[in-house]
Amino acid sequence: MFKTTADLLIKSHPLRVVQGRFFAAAVAEPKSEDRLQSFRTFEADPSKHNTNHQSQFYKVDSTDKKVLFQYGGLPKSFQIQAKTFNETCLMVRDPSIQIINHLKTIDYTQPPIKFVLYGKKGCGKTLTLAHIMHYAYKNDFLIVHVPWVGNWMRRCKDTSNSETKPGFIDLNIDAAAWLVHFKTQNANILENPELKTTIDIQWNKRECTPIGSSLLELIDQGINRIRFASNCVNYLAEEVKKLSQSGLCRTLLAIDGFNAFFYPNTRVFTEKKEMVPPSRVTLTEGFLNLTKFDWKNSVIVVTVDEIAIAEKDQISHYPRYLLGKSGFEHLDPFLPVEVKDYSEKEHQSIMDYYRERKWIHSYPGQNDELYFLSGGNPFRLMNLCNAL
Amino acid sequence: MCATKVLFSRCFAVSKLNTPILSYIQQNSMSVYPNYYIEPIYRKETQQELVKTGEISKYSHIPTKATLNGQTCSDSYDPVIALFTNYVMRQGLKALAREQMDKCFENIKRLQLEKYHKCTTEEEKLKIELDPKKVFHEAINNSKPLLQLTGVKRGGVRYQVPMPITDRRSEFIAMNWLVDAGKEKDRKVRFAMQLARELVDASNNTGKVVKRKQDLHRQCEANKAFAHYRWS
Amino acid sequence: MMNLSRNIERVPFRSIEKQLVASYCNSSPQTQTKQEEFRALNIRNVKDPFQTRRRLQKTAVFPPRADQMPVDQDWGSVWPGPRSFHPATVPLPVRQGFTEKGAPPPNKFNNAELMKIPNFLHLTPPVIKRQCEALKKFCTPWPKALDNEDKIQKNFPIEVISSDYCYSSPTIRDPMARIITVKFKLASLKLDDRARDKFLRLVGPRYNEENDTVTIVTDRCPLKKQNYDYAMYLVTALFHESKKVEPWEEMKSEADMEIYCWENNASKKNIEALFGCKSEEIPNAAEYSEAVSHYMNEGENDYTISKYGEAVKKLLKLQGTN
Repeated sequence: MFKTTADLLIKSHPLRVVQGRFFAAAVAEPKSEDRLQSFRTFEADPSKHNTNHQSQFYKVDSTDKKVLFQYGGLPKSFQIQAKTFNETCLMVRDPSIQIINHLKTIDYTQPPIKFVLYGKKGCGKTLTLAHIMHYAYKNDFLIVHVPWVGNWMRRCKDTSNSETKPGFIDLNIDAAAWLVHFKTQNANILENPELKTTIDIQWNKRECTPIGSSLLELIDQGINRIRFASNCVNYLAEEVKKLSQSGLCRTLLAIDGFNAFFYPNTRVFTEKKEMVPPSRVTLTEGFLNLTKFDWKNSVIVVTVDEIAIAEKDQISHYPRYLLGKSGFEHLDPFLPVEVKDYSEKEHQSIMDYYRERKWIHSYPGQNDELYFLSGGNPFRLMNLCNAL
Repeated sequence: MCATKVLFSRCFAVSKLNTPILSYIQQNSMSVYPNYYIEPIYRKETQQELVKTGEISKYSHIPTKATLNGQTCSDSYDPVIALFTNYVMRQGLKALAREQMDKCFENIKRLQLEKYHKCTTEEEKLKIELDPKKVFHEAINNSKPLLQLTGVKRGGVRYQVPMPITDRRSEFIAMNWLVDAGKEKDRKVRFAMQLARELVDASNNTGKVVKRKQDLHRQCEANKAFAHYRWS
Repeated sequence: MMNLSRNIERVPFRSIEKQLVASYCNSSPQTQTKQEEFRALNIRNVKDPFQTRRRLQKTAVFPPRADQMPVDQDWGSVWPGPRSFHPATVPLPVRQGFTEKGAPPPNKFNNAELMKIPNFLHLTPPVIKRQCEALKKFCTPWPKALDNEDKIQKNFPIEVISSDYCYSSPTIRDPMARIITVKFKLASLKLDDRARDKFLRLVGPRYNEENDTVTIVTDRCPLKKQNYDYAMYLVTALFHESKKVEPWEEMKSEADMEIYCWENNASKKNIEALFGCKSEEIPNAAEYSEAVSHYMNEGENDYTISKYGEAVKKLLKLQGTN
């Protein structure tokens, strides 16, 4: 008996090792599945996101994406990534949950509340804004979204002197492009026949948009007659304000790189090669009008970003510095919301996501190494992962 | 006669004197380190091995050169890729070369992932190699030539004689061919992109570089008759 | 022969050779007597060339005085005034200067380094004590009532500092003696905010923020008295000038303010417009105003900005989430 047990022990020794390994593998299997559960959420509706979904990825429906971000709104590097991954996933992060929760509970009969997203370069302000926009889209907000103000102030397509306001500069092509963007984003809502203009708009001697014509007509006028596009944007802003005021629609104003409206230097030049400050650009007026307190049934989310201003002045990422005195006074009182770098949990989550998308191939200690190298900055992390 | 003898002996003395200095210069060449400095041991595995065998105590007091800034203990480090980066480098612009390599790997991943997502069945998906490093190593392996041609002059005629090749040399040739292939491109295409395409092609045993290897092999085969010039 | 031997003597031979020559000379007394008898004709009347050179007598170098100094000597009379270092007078084994590695620094003799640096050997504690004792008879006793700093500050707000110099040189005047320094606390002037601001602008860098002190130094006039009068004039003029309100001072706009004051800024107007009533009637406005001014004055950082955010939340009655 003794002999047999001893034999068994000796015999089973290598076997046990094998078994042990096998067992470990078997244990690891559900663990990775757990992880899969932990970094992905199947809750695709942003209005149901709460703190339980924090640092998880949700998939943006491709039709939603097409409507919302067809003409900009997502960073270029993110778009490339989304194309490679064959899906668009956004991480549910703290600032967006905060703002979405506020949006749910706000009293819309009061003047709009202004949220200012700020944070260091490449920490995900634009994607947070995209998440909020997705929420707004799902909840039938009228979305007035400017993908990147820097595109107007720092690399505009063309300039021309304003016909209606002497001394002002029109950016007509950009304005028309924005109108197209606005039209695609709000195609559903604009079909509502109640959205009508409230004043007669006289474009020139022959052309006019009479009172009571639909908002779509006004937008089409701007798109078809590019000469009037800039003015059209301003009229549209005014009309949107009035319509929200009357309670016909609920508006989300989302502007990315809002501080470019207040940075004194632009790359917009007159015919005499004189620099035009943003206050002399016609488009500015419309959007500054929208960010005032004198309307309701709306909410304002803007981001301030270092990249929207000239490189030599990119000193601080805080809103007071970026907005300047006039910008701060224009927005005040606003609710600053910081978009932070990745926490450890978020970092873990995105690494798992990358692995699941087969974008990176893991080696021991990879997570810690990359967290250290990137310093938690999402953009830097993305660049570091590109070569792995 | 006597004078020449004296002169000779003097020369001899001088040359005798100079030899240690010369050898010192040759050994150390242009390095800032004296010749007794040893190369750094920067890989964790090697260090652990040394600790295990106890040899680490031997190294503890020997002056050691500083590590180069490309040498890292990270697991993402690969000596073959480091070597290839050096071959890609021109005019000492290492940072640029490394950036190009990183972009190249990124492009490989994007190319492969695109193919991966196009596949409909699991089997097809499994066939596609998504790890850029494996693609790279496979590409190098596939483009290594087995023989090389060397010019040998016999009777006033230069014959291209097939010769055996060392592994190191064949690796060098393969890498150089890949770099050349990366540069052979349209003006609008970036080097990193072209190199990525070539690497993917070579890893699948197709493409310019593999064809070049096969051409060389064919040439060697054709010149088989000259093979005896190698020793006669 | 004689010539030869003498020649040998002239040449600086080593002592052994000299001895050899001497013994040779001594061994032939006959030749020597002959030489005395035979006198050479001295036609040119040349003096004897073989005069021995007179040895230069070196004066004996005395050992340094420091070696002979008694331990209990009166140092104050050995080194009474400021003077550059002298190795023989200072009985200290001091060393100073750079050397190659390992070697000790050079000693005090022939040491220029020691002479270059200023020394305070004339200011040893007993000497100072003695001088103080000597000066004591010129001093008046400290008023007993002024026993603490506050009383001094209250009764004598202005502090006047000047220096007198004692010399053994032909002139007893020193140009430094004319300088007058007047110090006083700004709080003792009891100015209101506006006047204080103007006063600070007038004095400029003469005001020290850390201890609230204004320091005025006058050295324009040749005499101490004149400088003192001028300093007093300056203090008076500054005081009255800062109290005066000029018509152009009313034009001070928001941009000229040193600190952000919420009361007269756009922020107040903004929330008044937002709520449609006076800022005093808005709930939580006080906290908000404090947060804004803190945010503006302290500069931006995570703390001030989060405070501001909290204040805005309360002001707009947003529910705190999560």
